[in-house]
Amino acid sequence: MSGALVLGVVASAVMSGTSLLYATLGEIVGERAGIVNLGLEGIMLIGAATGFAVTALTGQPYVGLAAAATAGTAVNLIFAYLVVGRRANQLASGLTLMFFGLGLSALEGRPFVGALIAGLPKVRLPGLGPAGLGGGFMNDDILVYLAVPTALLIWWLLFRTTWGLRLRAVGESPSAAVAAGLDPARLQYQALGLAGLFGGIAGAHLTLALTLTWAEGMTAGRGFIAIALVIFAKWNPLWAIAGALLFGGAESLQLQLQAAGADVSPFVMNMIPYLLTLLVLILWGWNRQSAAPAALGRSFVGVE
Amino acid sequence: MVRIPLLAAAGAALAALLAPGSSVAQDKPPLTVGAIYVGSVNDYGYNRSMKDGLEEMKRNIPGLKLIEAENLPETAESERVMEGMIQQGAKLIFATSFGHQQFAFNLAKTHPDVYFEHAGGWMQAPNFGNFFGATQAAWFPMGVAAGKMTKSNTLGFVVGLPIGYAIGNVNAFEMGARSVNPQAQTRVVVTGGWADKAKEAAAATALIDQGADVVTMHVDSPATIVQNAEGRGIRSIGFQSIAARQLAPKGWLTGLGFTWGPFMTETANSVIAGTFKPAMVRQGLGQGMMAIAPFGEAVPDEVRALVTAAADRVGKGFNPFTGPLVDNTGVERIKGGESWGGDKMGNFDWYVEGVIGKAK
Repeated sequence: MSGALVLGVVASAVMSGTSLLYATLGEIVGERAGIVNLGLEGIMLIGAATGFAVTALTGQPYVGLAAAATAGTAVNLIFAYLVVGRRANQLASGLTLMFFGLGLSALEGRPFVGALIAGLPKVRLPGLGPAGLGGGFMNDDILVYLAVPTALLIWWLLFRTTWGLRLRAVGESPSAAVAAGLDPARLQYQALGLAGLFGGIAGAHLTLALTLTWAEGMTAGRGFIAIALVIFAKWNPLWAIAGALLFGGAESLQLQLQAAGADVSPFVMNMIPYLLTLLVLILWGWNRQSAAPAALGRSFVGVE
Repeated sequence: MVRIPLLAAAGAALAALLAPGSSVAQDKPPLTVGAIYVGSVNDYGYNRSMKDGLEEMKRNIPGLKLIEAENLPETAESERVMEGMIQQGAKLIFATSFGHQQFAFNLAKTHPDVYFEHAGGWMQAPNFGNFFGATQAAWFPMGVAAGKMTKSNTLGFVVGLPIGYAIGNVNAFEMGARSVNPQAQTRVVVTGGWADKAKEAAAATALIDQGADVVTMHVDSPATIVQNAEGRGIRSIGFQSIAARQLAPKGWLTGLGFTWGPFMTETANSVIAGTFKPAMVRQGLGQGMMAIAPFGEAVPDEVRALVTAAADRVGKGFNPFTGPLVDNTGVERIKGGESWGGDKMGNFDWYVEGVIGKAK
């Protein structure tokens, strides 16, 4: 593998892994509070469409980004009301949210298909290029630069603050949390709001940085990959960095290998990222000791 | 005394306005046409070209009514929507995406008085025909443009799905490039779908990283790839619709577009006259359905002349798929003296010499 190939793969992995990382981090926060959100795909789509639409309207990509984050938060809070307030089944509600997001984003984005936007501006940061290769510059938008610091922030939030401790307590055992005087519902709402924020940002990165276009359903399953990456990361934000890079890297690797002329069928190449995810999930499954929050997916109906 | 003529004039005008059969009443349209698109017409690509053709048909036949539905997936949903259009009086339906074929065909059986034209397929019935551009040979002049304008001798081609027709396009492109530049090579990346924008962006990046300084594509919309290339200062050649030129003011070289208007007008007129004949229509460059986009500023006159000359050759019947042709692994695929005609264009599962990639 030539240096150019490696450099290309790393740069591309970082670009496509960024949105995956934000989505995974959001989902980790939600799942740590005990709520599985299968509708992450829908949230990402809403973030993507809203970000694109507002950027096309205002010409300000950062305003679009803020709008995307707000929209993601708002829609996820609807989901929160369903599963926390009304104690609906989480899996069913999540899938419903996915379809809702698919439709709403399509409706939102329709007037803007084909619009030309400037996209998030790229910022040159010296001295941070891939070690030893290239000019030692990284030239990306701020979401890429903030991705790993955000993961560290979430890790700190979950494992080093009282709020995080309380959140994890709710995810492990809501009745114990109630006994300790906490309000599980409030914490879950907060967690899901934060998850929605990141889901919206993840979607916005796709339209505002990666492709600069909007098309219906353009996340193409990335939301579900992020849900799988949460399991891969064992609900730990630091491992999520590795997971997002791995998957983003696999996707860009197969395209770079094709461009370099690899003597492998293109169908097989396109399968690589998904095969990798399957492999990782199978290997992780051997570990009997489950790292999942104990009360994940269960509706808490209160103590008598 | 002046008042009476005024009053009379006002009265007459009022009577005319209120009289039945005045200009308020609508004439019955000569034909109601329904059209379904798989994507959005704002895609600078395939769907845009279909929309442009239908608008031309509408302009050519005054009073024609057009009902459209965008973003229709290639599922039974499309059948329901087409049925709805028939209920609204459509007598001619254009099913513009390949995957709509079976559903349109089902309706053709249950509605023998409605006519259907499907893009890209092969099914036939008394009220069902197909049409498409003969794209493969038309890529030859595109290759000529790319071969002349490249400095790195590496060309990039993004393919959605490696179906025979797409591989044929790549082959003709490379052969056109080689005809003016024997060193030119084409690298191919397959994204696995006709409209995955994120993958298209990454594919374009991969090709540029591997040294391509001209990129082109066979996907539904050239927009993402053209924009991506423009962002990195790379030249591009468009496909599907010539509207994508606006996206790359500096890097645009040329492009291939579909001009469906004349065929659609002809078909609509035949339905009105009651002379519709089902057929499998394939028209290439110079035959009405395909056209070459305006050249970009970067293209010098001598290159324009070469491309136009190559296009004329194709229009007059030049078939680049004439033997002996060897594929990129050294196996002879078309023997000397033989040539592959239009009916064989879906059979390509090999790339010609000079293409770097694996076809299957």
